[in-house]
Amino acid sequence: MSGTDDRVPVTADEWADDADSDEGIVANWFVREGSTIEESESICEIQIEKVSIDVLAPVSGTLSEIVKGEDDEFERGDTLAWITPDG
Amino acid sequence: MSENSAETRELTMSRAMVSAIAHEMRENDEVFYMGEDVADYGGIFDSTEGLREEFGYDRVMDVPISETAYLGAAVGAAQEGMRPIAELMFVDFFGVAMDQIYNQMAKNTYMSGGNVSVPMVLTAAVGGTYNDAAQHSQTLYGTFAHIPGLKIVVPSTAYEAKGLMHNAIRDDDPVLYLFHKRLMGIGWLPAPDGPKTPVPETDYTIPFGSADVKRTGDDVTVVTLGLHVHRALSAAEDLAEEGIDAEVVDLRSLVPLDTDTIVESVEKTGNLVVVDEDYRSYGVTGEIVASVADEALAALDSVERVALPDVPIPYSRPMENEVVPDAEDIAAAVQRTQ
Repeated sequence: MSGTDDRVPVTADEWADDADSDEGIVANWFVREGSTIEESESICEIQIEKVSIDVLAPVSGTLSEIVKGEDDEFERGDTLAWITPDG
Repeated sequence: MSENSAETRELTMSRAMVSAIAHEMRENDEVFYMGEDVADYGGIFDSTEGLREEFGYDRVMDVPISETAYLGAAVGAAQEGMRPIAELMFVDFFGVAMDQIYNQMAKNTYMSGGNVSVPMVLTAAVGGTYNDAAQHSQTLYGTFAHIPGLKIVVPSTAYEAKGLMHNAIRDDDPVLYLFHKRLMGIGWLPAPDGPKTPVPETDYTIPFGSADVKRTGDDVTVVTLGLHVHRALSAAEDLAEEGIDAEVVDLRSLVPLDTDTIVESVEKTGNLVVVDEDYRSYGVTGEIVASVADEALAALDSVERVALPDVPIPYSRPMENEVVPDAEDIAAAVQRTQ
């Protein structure tokens, strides 16, 4: 039962400096669900008021679920995806 | 990075372009990039995103707004042995530097009796579909493919963008590398499904003059390039439901032109539809049809051309959508051949 609980959320920790908005949009995913990813790898690109920011993987593991797909809007702090860590 | 993620990593077309440029800049100190807003801004269509941070202002240069001056500087640097990549922000702006492009870049190898070569890449953003009006929406493929001395490449996906860019930088002759804005994968200008593809992390080249059959089919040959590869593939999916099996040929380069692949396909299908985002008259559609007629007239049962009508591209969204060919226009042209 512990599988789901071990998952690590991917969130947009970095935010556009001058942005007034707390909302962003997912522009591009670079990996698909089920892909193996490395910590600090750029896994998706978000846009906040036309400013583009790469979201880096917080841990190494498998991208188990994409919560916010391309063109989806999200609020600051929302979980964009879940990673099941290695090991 | 692990084996797995290297194989499955997908890149937008802009990131694939940049990865090829960065690779070549690391390998060869003579490679540098210059253009308007290419350093701090990273290119207005993300064509140089991150390069200035890695290579600094000496090798990624913002230039004053004089296309004549900096394209001329690129030609001179190339003749002296460097490998400049110079970016024309919009291909539509070529007019102010036409002498540098048409008479210097394209002809100096010939005019010098082969004493100099001009190993430069001229990159430029092309295409419409985002309401930027008549002076910022053209492709002008025919304008450049017409002049002797220039090689012309047009990537349709991230995979092509990287392989063609490696080949362009390593080529000893001037290459015009025309990237379609709608394919770059920019957040404010979303790409259709298709141009974002898996891209090998290692370097690889795609030779010029090698068209790619993006979809095989027996009933009709659709020849196209750039954005319209994806619109043709979309039309082919719809046509398949009606039992019409379209083959889609992505030219990838206009000069040199891979006539063999086109003719081979037409000899199989008997029907040719050429789709172009450039103007209809004196352009790519006429040239492809004529090339096939030269080689295999007897193979042609029917021919259709789908291109922009000879009008300035309108600003108004419904009017622009009317003149730029879409998947339905392509499907209708294919149906007329059956």
